[in-house]
Amino acid sequence: MQIETKATVLASVASVCVLAMTFGLSPLLRSTETADSSREPRTDPGPVVRALISDRGPAQGQKLFDRNCAHCHGNDARGDEGPSLYSLALSDARIAKRIREGVKGEMPRFGSKFNDADIEALIAFLRSLKD
Amino acid sequence: MDNSLWVKMHGRTTHFPIALVMASTLFDLAGFLVPANPEKFHGFRAAAFYTLMLGAVGSVGAVLSGLVISHGEIWGHSNLAHHHIFLWPAFGLLLALAVWRLVVGKHPSQRAFKIYLAASVVTCGLMGAAGYWGGELLLNS
Repeated sequence: MQIETKATVLASVASVCVLAMTFGLSPLLRSTETADSSREPRTDPGPVVRALISDRGPAQGQKLFDRNCAHCHGNDARGDEGPSLYSLALSDARIAKRIREGVKGEMPRFGSKFNDADIEALIAFLRSLKD
Repeated sequence: MDNSLWVKMHGRTTHFPIALVMASTLFDLAGFLVPANPEKFHGFRAAAFYTLMLGAVGSVGAVLSGLVISHGEIWGHSNLAHHHIFLWPAFGLLLALAVWRLVVGKHPSQRAFKIYLAASVVTCGLMGAAGYWGGELLLNS
C-alpha cells in the first residue's frame, strides 16, 4: 500500500476517533452543569451563553411558564384568569417589559424573579404558541 | 470556573486555528505556484506544515471551550445549529489533514498533494462559515 493511502486511512480513523471522543464528552459536561447549577447563584452569563440558553428556550421557557404563569394563563396558555398567550402580536421587547414590570392591577411583576435568560426563554416558548 | 471566562476563552482560542489553517493553505498554494525555486518551495511547505499543526492543536482547545459554554450541546437550534453544521466537518477534516500530513511527511506525490490541497481549501471554507455563525451567535442575540 502506498504511504498516501495508509496516511488517508490513518487520518480518517484518527479524525473519527477524536470526534467520537468529543461527542462522548458532551453528556459529561451536561451532568456537570446540572450539578453546578444547584450550587451556584444565578448570574448573567454573557451574550453567548444567553444565546445558547435562548436556543434551548422553548423547553426551558415552558418549565418556567408551568411553574409561574400557568395558574393565571391556564395550563395550556389558552387563558384562564389571565388572557390567552397564543399568537401574541406584541414585540419581544414589549413582552419582556410586561413580564418584568407587570400590568397594574392585572398581572404581578416578575422582574426580580426572572433574569434576562429566563425572560428570553419564556418569550421563545410564547413564540412557539401559534393557533 | 465562571462561565463568562469560558466564553472569553472560546472567543480567543477559535481565532488562532482559523487564521493558522488559512495561512497554512495559503503557504501551500504559494509553494505550489513556485515549484521552480526549490528553496522557496521547501520554505512554503515547512511553514504550511507547522501552521497546520499549530492550528490542529489549537482547534482542540477551541472545541473544548465551546463545548463547555454550550453545556455539552453538540447540535442545538437556529444559529447554534448553523455553527455546528460547519464546525464538526471542519474539525474532523482539520484533524484528518494534520494526521495525513504527519504520516506522509515531506514528499507526497503530486496527485495526492493536489487532493490534500483541495481538502484544505474546503476546510478553510467550513471553518470560515463556522466562525461566521459563531459571530452571529455572539452579536445577534
